[in-house]
Amino acid sequence: MTRLSSFATGLRSWEGFLFAALLVILAVNAALTPEFLTVANQINLFQLSIEKVIVALVMTFIIINAEIDLSVGAMMGLSACAFGWMFQNGVDARLACLVCLGIGIAGGALNGYFIAAMALPSLVVTLATLIGFRGLARVLVEDRGITDFPDWFDALGQAPMLGPLPFALIAFGVLFVFLYVLLQKTGFGRRTYVIGTNRDVADFAGIDSRRHKFILFVASGLISAFAGLLYAARVGAVRGDVALGFELDIITIVLLGGVSIFGGKGSLTGTLLSILIVLNLRNGMALMNITGHIQTGVIGLLLIGSVLAPRLRLPRFNRAAKPKEVSP
Amino acid sequence: MPEPVLSLDHVSKSFGMTHALSDVSMDLHAGEVHAIVGENGAGKSTMIKIMTGIHQPSSGAVRIDGDAVTLAGPQTARDRGVVAIYQEPMVFPDLDVAENIFISSTKEGWFQNRRDLRRKAHALIDRIGMALDVDQVASGLTLAEQQAVEIARALSQDVRVLIMDEPTAALSAHEAAQLRRVARTLAEEGVSVVYISHRLEEVFEIADRVTVIRDGQHISTRPIDETTPDGMIAEMVGREVGNYFEKAPTTATPEVLLGVRDLTLDGTYENISFDLHRGEVLCMAGLIGARRTDVALSLFGIAPATGGTVTYKGAEVRLTTPRQAMDLGIAYVSEDRRKLGLAMEMPIRDNVTLATLSRYQSRAGIIDRAAEAETAEAYRQRLNIRTPDVEIDVGMLSGGNQQKVMLAKWLNMEPELLIFDEPTRGIDIGAKAEVHDLIRDFAAKGGAVLVISSDLPEVLAMGDRILVMREGVQMGILDAADADQEKVMALATGQVRSTAPDAREGEPA
Repeated sequence: MTRLSSFATGLRSWEGFLFAALLVILAVNAALTPEFLTVANQINLFQLSIEKVIVALVMTFIIINAEIDLSVGAMMGLSACAFGWMFQNGVDARLACLVCLGIGIAGGALNGYFIAAMALPSLVVTLATLIGFRGLARVLVEDRGITDFPDWFDALGQAPMLGPLPFALIAFGVLFVFLYVLLQKTGFGRRTYVIGTNRDVADFAGIDSRRHKFILFVASGLISAFAGLLYAARVGAVRGDVALGFELDIITIVLLGGVSIFGGKGSLTGTLLSILIVLNLRNGMALMNITGHIQTGVIGLLLIGSVLAPRLRLPRFNRAAKPKEVSP
Repeated sequence: MPEPVLSLDHVSKSFGMTHALSDVSMDLHAGEVHAIVGENGAGKSTMIKIMTGIHQPSSGAVRIDGDAVTLAGPQTARDRGVVAIYQEPMVFPDLDVAENIFISSTKEGWFQNRRDLRRKAHALIDRIGMALDVDQVASGLTLAEQQAVEIARALSQDVRVLIMDEPTAALSAHEAAQLRRVARTLAEEGVSVVYISHRLEEVFEIADRVTVIRDGQHISTRPIDETTPDGMIAEMVGREVGNYFEKAPTTATPEVLLGVRDLTLDGTYENISFDLHRGEVLCMAGLIGARRTDVALSLFGIAPATGGTVTYKGAEVRLTTPRQAMDLGIAYVSEDRRKLGLAMEMPIRDNVTLATLSRYQSRAGIIDRAAEAETAEAYRQRLNIRTPDVEIDVGMLSGGNQQKVMLAKWLNMEPELLIFDEPTRGIDIGAKAEVHDLIRDFAAKGGAVLVISSDLPEVLAMGDRILVMREGVQMGILDAADADQEKVMALATGQVRSTAPDAREGEPA
């Protein structure tokens, strides 16, 4: 009885709801398609979106901080293209990887500078850098594909590394554990929430919110560049339109996971559940021969539902502007 | 006497248990400038809100031309010819003057004839006697000009009662004079002008009659030539000053903790000088717009001063970030709990440790939640915060308990200088007494306290000395022993400027 009621309480939280939804999706998929629950299929479904879900982890921090980074997809593309261009021009692939990570840090620092130091809205700044990064990627590689990377590089994205697990999936696991502890257990994580809840309160408590935001955007650039390299390794080729539009899928996953677009609310547990739901849902539909466009439509409906759900439960806030002096 | 244009007929207004207005009656006549004066929180704003339909009276009636009316909202009041303009005018910065004037006009229809609009706007601007180009974009206007636009907007709608709420508080002397001329012109045309101001000299310059409000009650309404500034101040503060705060014995020591000399923030305040001793409670008094909070924000490093010096424990310091101030042992408890003080959607525990988070982190940065909860629990007991447990969101608590959580956050820093901005605003009388005891206790243990308060009885009860400011200027420092409400108000309203005792010679009382 008590176990049942505590289960009901758990369901009422967004994470609980996502978990239940995930179980339903897994059950339906397994019932309809026998090959769904094989290890190979589960790894495969992760593999196909691994770059997006890695970036979704750092995007969770950014949105909880009440900011947004639209430039992540473009940075993935720039990183991949810069790698291809350097490789084509005879730069050692290992060195090229390091340079690409450096580009990620530099691009993130550019975002961070305008957002933290100049106090410009991240929506505008990262929209501008989205265009800039993408433009640069296209200039470097144009429309021809670059391919024939070294075997060790392609293997990073394609070959199993630890048991059946490829490098990218291991990287995701390690990154998730590290970021989970960082966000949910440390002072850095607490500050991420406080700044997202009310930046002025944070500043008045001696928290350097500008520095914090700068760090987050640098991390976002670095992880995006890393994900771009993973993409190049997995596909074994790069083109100017690598990762085009990925930012929207990434933001969708994070919001679906219960992170508030206004900041301050959400968790990496929610993001992980959302990742599993989106991947399994898409995979299940694909196995049932439902086309990609319809899959996208279903995810869109889910997102609207996730934004509506808290509103249905909470009383409406009275956000009417109040005059300054209120007597008494 | 002709029928009054608008009158309040035994109007009372309560918000829950608070009586904002009790049985207030007053008449407004066509062609008069009627000033309303009173301390902060006396009920002036509530009166305006009832006249303009934002609030409805709990009992009594609003009469227009003698008929009882129900003003269901600001639009109804406007249709009846009652319009208010506020300290911060509402103009649309990207529209020009003419468009701003007719922004809410429905008479013009969907397709406005621009030339016609300009001509009408010009006529209105002429009528209030301002030189203003109707094609100018509003973002380039001065505050006084923006207010003129608002007045013109009101005139375009056949205003009969124009309420001006602290219209000159943010204006320069020249602009204020300009605005007073406009008010006078309108009254001569037959508009009934209600003028609310903290500047008594202004009231004496333009008002025909003055109504004094205190603690939600109507005290008097007199023709201006039957009253004096001193008489008015006495009525504002009340002869029988309720001694509901016990005067605590001072614990001030001769040791100076904070020395402030000629502190200036350009365009905001200037030449603030005082010493704050260990064990002392120094209160800053003043009316709205006195810029007391700005001084506090400079001392906390949020709005760094542009001139003057600050010494702390004998050494000169530069305060440019809150972190610097906190590292020195300076805490600032904000007046605005909701916007600046507390993360309302987070638990009490997280809020209590917000300013001291690094103490609860291991070397790897992991927060020790058990230790946090222990601290929060200790403050819950010590400050008597009424809550079942410390995991509840702060937003769920009452104002007084929120205030205590905010205080706990800063006491946990173990500061030596506590700057407390409006320590008891919006909390009930029981919680007030508790907060006062906590402040006294803090001082008794060797801390220094700078209290900013608009509550005069509180200032007189708490302060060992009282620094009075007015519009960014230090008007004087009074010893609590020989201060009373009249003296403080006389300084705060600019009737006198004290010459003694200055900070330089100031010894703790």
